[in-house]
Amino acid sequence: MEIKAIGCEPLQLKRMHIKDGHTLKVYQETGGYESLKKAMNMSQDDIINEVKASALRGRGGAGFPTGMKWSFVPRQSPKPKYVVCNADESEPGTFKDRYLLERDPHALIEGMLIAAFALGAAACYVYFRGEYRYLIDIMDKAIDEARAADIVGKNILGSDFSCEFFTHTGAGAYICGEETALLSSLEGYRGHPRMKPPFPAIEGLYACPTVVNNVETLTAVPQIIEMGGKAWQELGTEKSGGTKLWSVSGHVKKPGVYELPMGYKDLEKFIMEDCGGMLRDDKKLKAVIPGGSSVYIMNAEQIVGKGVTMDYEGLVVGGSMVGSGGFIVMDETVDVMESTKNLTEFYKHESCGWCTPCREGTDWLVKIFNRISEGGGRPEDAQLLLDICDNIEGKSFCPLGDAAAWPIQSAVKRFPEDFKKWLLNKTNGNGVVANI
Amino acid sequence: MASALATDFTNKIVYTDEVAEFSPEVVEEMKSHLVKYPPERKRSALIPLLFVVQRERGWIDNAGVNFLAKFLELEVTDVWETATFYSMFNLRKIGRHHIQICKTLSCKIMGEPEITEHICNKLNIHPGETTADGKFTVTLVECLGSCGTAPMMQIGFDYHEDLTTEKVDQILDSLK
Amino acid sequence: MSELIKVTINEQDFEVEKGARLIDVCREKGFNIPSFCYYSDLALQASCRMCLVRIEKMPKLQTSCTITCTDGMIVTTQSEEIEKAQRAMSEFLLANHPLDCPVCDRGGECELQEMIFDWGDVEERFTEKKNVEPEKFLSPIVANDPQRCIVCKRCTRVCDEWMGEDAIEAGNRGVNTVIGTYGGWLNCSQCGNCIEVCPTGTLLDGVYRHETRPWELDQTITTDVYGSDGMQLSIGSRGGLVHRIVARDRYVNGLNGEFLDVKARFAHEFVNHPDRIKTPLIRYKKGGKLIPATWDEAIHFVGQKLTESGKNVGVVASPRLTNEAIFTLKRFAKEVVGTDNYAVSDRYDLSVFFDNLSAPLATHKEIRKAKTLVLIGGEPEEEQTFTAKQMRQAVRNDGAKLIIVNHTPIRLSAQASQFIHINPNSYDAFVLALTDSANDDANAKKLGIETKDLADFRQTLSETEGDTVVMFGGDLSPQAQSVLANSADAFDGTNAKVLFHPLPLYNNSVGANDLMEGKKSLSEVLKNSKALLIGGSLQEADTNLLANKDFIVVQELFETETTKYADVVLPAASFAEVDGTFTNNTGFVQRVRQAIEPVNQSKADWMITTLIAREMGADFGYNFSATMVFKAIADSVSAYEGLRYPALKDESKPVQVKHAISAKKDLSKEFDVLKSNVEKLSDEANKLTATPRVGHKLHRLTTLTSKTAQFHLLAHGNPKPENLLVSPLVQFNLDGTPRTETADAAAVGVTDRINLKVEY
Repeated sequence: MEIKAIGCEPLQLKRMHIKDGHTLKVYQETGGYESLKKAMNMSQDDIINEVKASALRGRGGAGFPTGMKWSFVPRQSPKPKYVVCNADESEPGTFKDRYLLERDPHALIEGMLIAAFALGAAACYVYFRGEYRYLIDIMDKAIDEARAADIVGKNILGSDFSCEFFTHTGAGAYICGEETALLSSLEGYRGHPRMKPPFPAIEGLYACPTVVNNVETLTAVPQIIEMGGKAWQELGTEKSGGTKLWSVSGHVKKPGVYELPMGYKDLEKFIMEDCGGMLRDDKKLKAVIPGGSSVYIMNAEQIVGKGVTMDYEGLVVGGSMVGSGGFIVMDETVDVMESTKNLTEFYKHESCGWCTPCREGTDWLVKIFNRISEGGGRPEDAQLLLDICDNIEGKSFCPLGDAAAWPIQSAVKRFPEDFKKWLLNKTNGNGVVANI
Repeated sequence: MASALATDFTNKIVYTDEVAEFSPEVVEEMKSHLVKYPPERKRSALIPLLFVVQRERGWIDNAGVNFLAKFLELEVTDVWETATFYSMFNLRKIGRHHIQICKTLSCKIMGEPEITEHICNKLNIHPGETTADGKFTVTLVECLGSCGTAPMMQIGFDYHEDLTTEKVDQILDSLK
Repeated sequence: MSELIKVTINEQDFEVEKGARLIDVCREKGFNIPSFCYYSDLALQASCRMCLVRIEKMPKLQTSCTITCTDGMIVTTQSEEIEKAQRAMSEFLLANHPLDCPVCDRGGECELQEMIFDWGDVEERFTEKKNVEPEKFLSPIVANDPQRCIVCKRCTRVCDEWMGEDAIEAGNRGVNTVIGTYGGWLNCSQCGNCIEVCPTGTLLDGVYRHETRPWELDQTITTDVYGSDGMQLSIGSRGGLVHRIVARDRYVNGLNGEFLDVKARFAHEFVNHPDRIKTPLIRYKKGGKLIPATWDEAIHFVGQKLTESGKNVGVVASPRLTNEAIFTLKRFAKEVVGTDNYAVSDRYDLSVFFDNLSAPLATHKEIRKAKTLVLIGGEPEEEQTFTAKQMRQAVRNDGAKLIIVNHTPIRLSAQASQFIHINPNSYDAFVLALTDSANDDANAKKLGIETKDLADFRQTLSETEGDTVVMFGGDLSPQAQSVLANSADAFDGTNAKVLFHPLPLYNNSVGANDLMEGKKSLSEVLKNSKALLIGGSLQEADTNLLANKDFIVVQELFETETTKYADVVLPAASFAEVDGTFTNNTGFVQRVRQAIEPVNQSKADWMITTLIAREMGADFGYNFSATMVFKAIADSVSAYEGLRYPALKDESKPVQVKHAISAKKDLSKEFDVLKSNVEKLSDEANKLTATPRVGHKLHRLTTLTSKTAQFHLLAHGNPKPENLLVSPLVQFNLDGTPRTETADAAAVGVTDRINLKVEY
């Protein structure tokens, strides 16, 4: 598996291949915690302004501008404030945070401390998905090291800034990657999303002002402070600053984690050259899901020769979304009906059950897919699938409903042949597959 | 013997007021989780402590639930509502080694079906079942964040990646 | 009056209060919006997604239950897009919902059923196999069919927010979400509110289960016969049988909303119980048997015997009787016997409270809106359940301060902003401390608390911006009650209005106190009388005073400890069989209405007393009409002046009687008693630290509750039986084979409910 930067200096991946990069000693030798020192000599507003200037957008999937998120926190509130790191990396096809946490835990500590300083937070929590137990152990060791060096805890680096730092574990629930569900889970409850407003910035953890950010978002913060927001932004594009990690899996020769500058050109080159091209040379590219499973699936025609730019705007133009940056590449051996069924099973399993459309809709969709895959497909099923997706999309409590609907909508529309095969074979070819 | 054990995995749970007891070290470990949260927010420690109970007792059993309810000043039903939400907690007894094979898309297209078939044939059980000797439980789980090294499985908390049938044999044979 | 703003709904402009909830506004203005999970005054859920509306400038359809109105908001509640969404949601809800309405107890009054008729689609597109879950019992009186659940979580929210019990919760995830408990057995007070608010047939009344269809029941709105809160409920009866009691808002709209407690809701089997006394009974010889007689014989016999006793006849009324019955008993004493020997057989004498009352009574609404609640002694969760619910919601939803003074950490104390945990028997010292801040140190010592606790208490009171409600009951000494009731000024804050709320024990304790003016204590009456007319049995502990009387007449439903001493027992009609009124602990006079004909040969209590009086030559002028009895009450009791039945017609607008507010009194005598009591208190006392079990008073077996079989199980700590019914019917799977799954791994075996026996 590859871990490397293409088209830029490795920033996020700086310590991926340095021996003992996860230790405090090596971290400091390679410039670690200098940004924290620098930030602690800046005003809180200046830090937030730098982050705003960097055009850093949330790397968890929603892409919300980080600086703006921070500026929503009422810093004058008498309540304690919290910084929470979302390390509940559960999006199918996404595994970038795992390597950051494994090989560069101090970068996260530093990023979170800068955020905590900027927001006046009393404590930081890193919420890991339960399966990442070995990463929790690594992080706990890093925290102990940092505490011993007066980097976390009371009077950080001899200043009067104090901030506690803890790890917390989830226990197997994709929905806890949604920030309010994560907070419910962190409070020991079922991981149901909460109503917004109030947003976590106003009433988050323990009803106190809280910022929840993805790992990659927070590890970018030290770089931004180090090189200045503007300089960092200029690595990428105007609206999508800096560099971004992309996880690549599936039918490519070199799957892995790649750091690319935002606005990298182009998607086809990335898959066919940077990632080594198709796993089996005789098999053609069929489909790519570029942003973790919760985005529109793209077919080869949307990629080959289209020059799709790899940033938030470019991928939307290309017909999909950045999401969490998890590429799943599929060659022609994959049946998209089956791959969609697989993902729908995922969403059914991970639906929290709170709201009607997501809870019942995903269950119904899986039942239809099961029937189709058992040879019971009907011509009207395509229309039914689309209609159920339409009934879920935009009507569910949280975005998980949308995430379940989009892959199906795009698959039915962009891979009609795969569905026709399943739906028409049983009907002597009389039926019509609607809308495709 | 085997049949008696097999019954244990399927039979009814008798609910009692029995409270589990843990060694002082384990209780200390539990307390070390409690200090992370504000004192009036003890419930926050519920998920970490459920893991401790599961590690110590093999599953989330009745006595363990009673213990947690007491320890965190909750109702047993509060523990139950949280524990049943998360897929990593076993409210039924499982085997000593919990083999969790990732079945989500990247692993699926990179050879998960062969791995699953191989493991299930080798252990002579279906996914979701426990071997008669209580050694292995096999479950299919959703994405574990190891897509670049698919196919993969997690045994207990250990990741096993880039699996081949030979590698699976080695791993399973090395487990006691 | 808060600020008014303009909202446009479906192109019509309205002025509404700022911050009003959109769904409420739309409904009020006549735009029907469907919903399941939205329930007024419960935490918002926004999960059913039925109430979607389009609001201009918002990207998606919005749930109207979560939107508060803002100025200039433009709302559309009806459009093709919204109708499609509503059809979609109802389709989703029906996907896994079994279409077994013909065998579901909720069929006919099911919100899901109605919503599907109103908003659903005719065509059913879901052709897959539905998820199946076996039926089970969650407790002796809560039946559960999980597959009907639409996960609106009203039940978990009322359990948490109304009852504070958190007994029922959601388990599992996604489409497998179920409502239940750990171990599958509900250990709670069994209020059944989860059943009431359930919009489907998921949670069902286990007592009523499979008895009739709801539309075959006659609904009679009446008042609870157990608690002093005067909860309004609807008796469902058919063919002379009481089948169930509900507070569903489709039938009744009383002060309690849909709230009832375990006794009000379930303990009604006594009405048609085979043990009911069937005919008048006469014991012709002391020590002999009670022998059935005709009414004519019995009344004649009673008239003769009471006339013989002359002025030595005493009269006792139970606080369970209607105002009409109690008033008639008092008239009997005054006008027929010519004696002042009359009493109320209450465990708690309210006269000290009302004689010294220095501020108005709080209504339940005022308790809900109060800013400070002071509870001295008492345990409303067990005895005044609806009061407790209002207190809890005032604290939870509106941040009211609750100060509890008690000698045990009652469950409510967990919600108190200050819990003053005093020594047992030291309430007198607290009352002294309240009126005299000079001796805080000494009083605190006697109370076993810190001096600071008293200072904190006073500070909270002085800072209160809003109403203060002070509650206390019969576990305080009469002197302490007198002083408290007369000390409204001690609770005065800056802007506070002080209100009192007594904690009586019975459904008509307050009415009995109002109507039995000039009453004597029970023991005095029992001692001073040679003959007795008793309406409703005495407490068992008091019955030994009935020995060696010349003649005792008892009006009763059942044979009790009291009827053992009776020479004549006259069969009385229960609350379900009579017209009348009860007065609740907030002073509301509310109607009791006849749901069924009197069972067996029983007659209304007031009518029995009237017959005896007529036999003895007195005519009360009632013409056998309860209306006339109530008119007589209104004409002679000042607090009830001018009231008539028609004025009490609407249960949603109850009428409060005017209890006299007394001026500051000289209570030095009472103070002397208090001081000497306090001096006797030891400084060294052991505090009671155990929180009493949920339901420890509610589940007590009484003459009435013991007639409901399921209550025996509750009274014994609600153990889970080994063999618990899954269904009295054999159930079939979709493929036609009989269903064999059991309700729970632990509840194996299908037996008939009638065989459900627990031995102790």
